[in-house]
Amino acid sequence: MSHSAEIDTKDSWGGGQSPFRISYGKMMMWFFLISDALTFGGLLTAYGFARHKYADQWPKAEEVFTHFPFVEQHLPLAYVGLMTFILIMSSVTMVLAVEAGHRMDKRGVTVWMFWTIVGGATFVGSQAWEWYHFIHGTDVGSLRDVFDRETGTYVRQVVHGANMTVNEYGNYDVPQFANFFFFITGFHGTHVFSGVVINFIIFMNVLKGTYEKRGHYEMVEKVGLYWHFVDLVWVFVFTFFYLL
Amino acid sequence: MEFHDNYPEYEKMSNHDETYGKKARRTLWNVFWIMLAITVVELIIGFMAPSKGWSGTLGLKVLFIGLTLVKAAAIVLWFMHLGHEVKFFKYVVLLPYAIFMIYAVFILLTEGTYSGVKENYTRTKQIPIEDQLAHKKANGGEQHGSSESHEEAHH
Repeated sequence: MSHSAEIDTKDSWGGGQSPFRISYGKMMMWFFLISDALTFGGLLTAYGFARHKYADQWPKAEEVFTHFPFVEQHLPLAYVGLMTFILIMSSVTMVLAVEAGHRMDKRGVTVWMFWTIVGGATFVGSQAWEWYHFIHGTDVGSLRDVFDRETGTYVRQVVHGANMTVNEYGNYDVPQFANFFFFITGFHGTHVFSGVVINFIIFMNVLKGTYEKRGHYEMVEKVGLYWHFVDLVWVFVFTFFYLL
Repeated sequence: MEFHDNYPEYEKMSNHDETYGKKARRTLWNVFWIMLAITVVELIIGFMAPSKGWSGTLGLKVLFIGLTLVKAAAIVLWFMHLGHEVKFFKYVVLLPYAIFMIYAVFILLTEGTYSGVKENYTRTKQIPIEDQLAHKKANGGEQHGSSESHEEAHH
């Protein structure tokens, strides 16, 4: 129940109670998330810089991400749309677990946390698949002049897929495209992976009845905050890497 | 002065009964359907953009970023429950972040237009677009959008 109305007064700063009306753990999770959000904000801003500088050469996402599992034909953006759906869905199951926790409904928390973990693990797997196809590239490839350190000259060759120095995507070579893709989706994927691990640990505690004994499911709410943050970051990554 | 900040009390205060839970769940599902609808609309627009010539236009960028901010607000306010925290806490979370990010975006929009030296400081160099397209054609590569970007490169 919302209890913000009666606390938004001058008395709340008079001491003797927390003016924020929030537990220490949740507040610290929020502060951590702000710092993490600044890191992602900085990375995406840097990405914006590079993209702006090479605006006329930057590869188009709908020509790069065209694969879909078990389907031969090209389906631009369909797979990443599915991944986004999975992550939003797991965010919903997480918030339903938190809601069940507020009712002290152990069974509800267990079921919804289980689906959150399944969704998160599926997302990480999908990202691995996406990376595989991004690195592997197409059969046609692209022509690139790659610098040869031995002879000090540029050697024209057909490049397939992507690595940190050269990639086949787009008509011009913009290595920053792959660099930022690897770094930002990789950093986000690491967050998803650690989120799945943390969710699993909390899930085990739920099963053991630790929070039932404690009288509240604050821990579920805290990992929930982290999990929603991961979803939040993906919303931005999805827009800036795939849509724009 | 005595300090009564016993944290489990705050947690037990946020416990609620089934009637309230039912209402809360309905709200959460509504938020989910709105977010899903926005994502589907984004994908449809993104799918249509190349053929309609919307790719890279300012209107499209503003639309996508606007829709993204709507989704972000939905996650933060309802899923992360910030909308129900006390006023002071909302400010503590949102203001410092907003100040930093508005500054970063300001720098991006002003300094990002500096073109300077257009070379890649990497171990590759640009190949003429004609050679690139010839290679794709000779190897049966897909031509989607390539001619379009060819046009853009010359204007």
